[in-house]
Amino acid sequence: MNESQLILTMVAAVGLGTPLIFATVGEIITERAGILNLGVQGMMLIGAVTGFWATFQTGNLEFGVVIAMVCASALSAVHAFTSITLRVNQIVSGLALALFGSGLASFLGRAGSEPLVGHPSRAQFEPILTGGIADIPIVGPLLFGHDPLVYLSWLVAGAASYYLFRTKMGLSLRAVGEDPASAEAAGVHVSKVRYVHVLIGGALAGLGGAYFSLALTPTWQDDPIGAAGWIAIALVILASWRPWRAVFAAYLFGAAERIQFTLQTLGEPWSDIPSTLLAMLPFILAIVAMIVLTSGKRARFLGAPAALGIPYFREQR
Amino acid sequence: MTRRLIVEPRGLASARLRILVPVLSVLAALVVGGLFLAITGENPLDVYGKMLDAAFGSANGVSNTLISATPLILTGVAAALAFKMLVWNIGGEGQFIMGAVFASGIAIWLGPGAPSWVAIPAVIVAGGVGGAVWASVAAVPRVYLGTNEIITTLMLNFIALSFMNFLIFGSSSPWRDPAVSTFPSGRPIPDTAKLPEFFKRLDIGIFIAIALAVAAWWLIGKTRWGFAVRVVGDSAATARYAGIRVSKKILVVFLLSGAAAGFAGALYVAGPVGALDPRSLDLGLGFTGIIVAALAGLHLLAVIPIAILMGALNNAGPALQSIGVPAATVTMLQGAILIFAVAGEFFIRHRIRLPRREPVSVEMPDGVEPA
Repeated sequence: MNESQLILTMVAAVGLGTPLIFATVGEIITERAGILNLGVQGMMLIGAVTGFWATFQTGNLEFGVVIAMVCASALSAVHAFTSITLRVNQIVSGLALALFGSGLASFLGRAGSEPLVGHPSRAQFEPILTGGIADIPIVGPLLFGHDPLVYLSWLVAGAASYYLFRTKMGLSLRAVGEDPASAEAAGVHVSKVRYVHVLIGGALAGLGGAYFSLALTPTWQDDPIGAAGWIAIALVILASWRPWRAVFAAYLFGAAERIQFTLQTLGEPWSDIPSTLLAMLPFILAIVAMIVLTSGKRARFLGAPAALGIPYFREQR
Repeated sequence: MTRRLIVEPRGLASARLRILVPVLSVLAALVVGGLFLAITGENPLDVYGKMLDAAFGSANGVSNTLISATPLILTGVAAALAFKMLVWNIGGEGQFIMGAVFASGIAIWLGPGAPSWVAIPAVIVAGGVGGAVWASVAAVPRVYLGTNEIITTLMLNFIALSFMNFLIFGSSSPWRDPAVSTFPSGRPIPDTAKLPEFFKRLDIGIFIAIALAVAAWWLIGKTRWGFAVRVVGDSAATARYAGIRVSKKILVVFLLSGAAAGFAGALYVAGPVGALDPRSLDLGLGFTGIIVAALAGLHLLAVIPIAILMGALNNAGPALQSIGVPAATVTMLQGAILIFAVAGEFFIRHRIRLPRREPVSVEMPDGVEPA
């Protein structure tokens, strides 16, 4: 592989990794509150379809992004209600959300007299910071000339990191995820904190979904995001619940997804490797990393919120 | 002071409630689905009428509904078995595919020379083995290293799907039909390995699926071994005190769960599909099994009627497309049914009542509520 192809792969990995950053940081925030939401795939798809629809109606990209975040957040509210208020099984509830969201997104894309499916977006995010600085060798194409949402994703990861580890509210949030009874004794409103952060997680998943339909592949198709929502759930563990690590984990997975196209350009013998096998790579990477990271004593240092997935019964303290 | 609803855990829910919750879940999902249908300009009643007609309105419809239900009975058993043990096997999809790969592989390897009484049992057993092998990739790390099985089983679904695509689209494997060169497809399995049909296109796979579900119910509900398994599912700590080897029980149930999904893959290949055909096997039947199990309250016999209901829904998808309504209506409805079924768990687990009399009012400082 020569240098320029390496750079091209890395630049493509940034594009493919960006929606994963949004969704993963969102899920980190949700899980830090002690709520496991496996419905990321559904929330991302709802974000993708509603964001596309809103931009299709108005031609306004920012409006599309806002609608995507609001709608995905509304979907996550369903999970918040079942897992926080009704305190039912979070795993099954999250899966239900994923199924419902996928079905509804596909339905909305095909329903009505003039369905969205097959239409290109009326607007799409364009690269910024192009020109001179983007021509600096190696650093230029990696740091500059991306669309604005790439920079927003760095901002979101940085802000989430600051919020979690440097603010009082972040401390309360982590307390709720670790030991809700003690947090409540210290005056934190556990249910409220959990609701708020499930909704934030939903909004960020919606933003990640909208990145697919408004920036990465700005045409509406039935299955626009692949398995991104499921991968994001694995990335949370690989990032050990830390937003900054999610950025690097997401780019690593972006690169793993991109590698099949890179190998095509390298000629034999690389191009002979079937793309159907290379498509497995991100998932194999996730499993191996999971087994290595979470087995035995290492698991304790990973930083999983202690109360993750456990319903909180105020009455049974 | 207003009268507050009292929510308290209840012991065993009545049989009436256990039936009422799934029925209301389906009705509530139909209302939600109806709203979305109405927003997009469809008449929900017309759409539902069409679905009912497609599923049960004709002999062909009933036959197709039961064909769709056959794999769902077993993927439902797969999810119910695992979930009972708090083993979160979300990998029914991948285990179903690997069951199909193993089953079609053995059928092609045996060839048309093997008599049906050899080929059919071999295909079904191979399917179970394929599903169990695929489950073991997640089960062994879970049991011996404590690796979270939710993520591993999920990822294994996508790997299995890519592997099936590789066998058909990415290589000239024995699974691929050499006769069709323009568009790759699966090699048809020999007729001797196919399940006999008896009612329209419905084959005996439905009886095999029901028999396996009953066997699973008997194994868990009626045997000594099953009793030990249920103790582990209720409380691993209790089981350990009682001298039950917990990790071995979890491993075996995980593998049985995988085998059940694998059997489903085998019956689908030896039944309606007749080849390892990615287009007919990538339908989310493993995921639908989770809905079946949840709606059945993880009861291994209740899985059977619920699977028929879900099969009816699946079967209605193509009929909707023919009248210009998206087939995804079905997925949307199934997702909504699962959401309401999960929410309904609350009412099975808790009792809500109004206090009979005004409770003795106690003066509390601001912001503090009486416990």
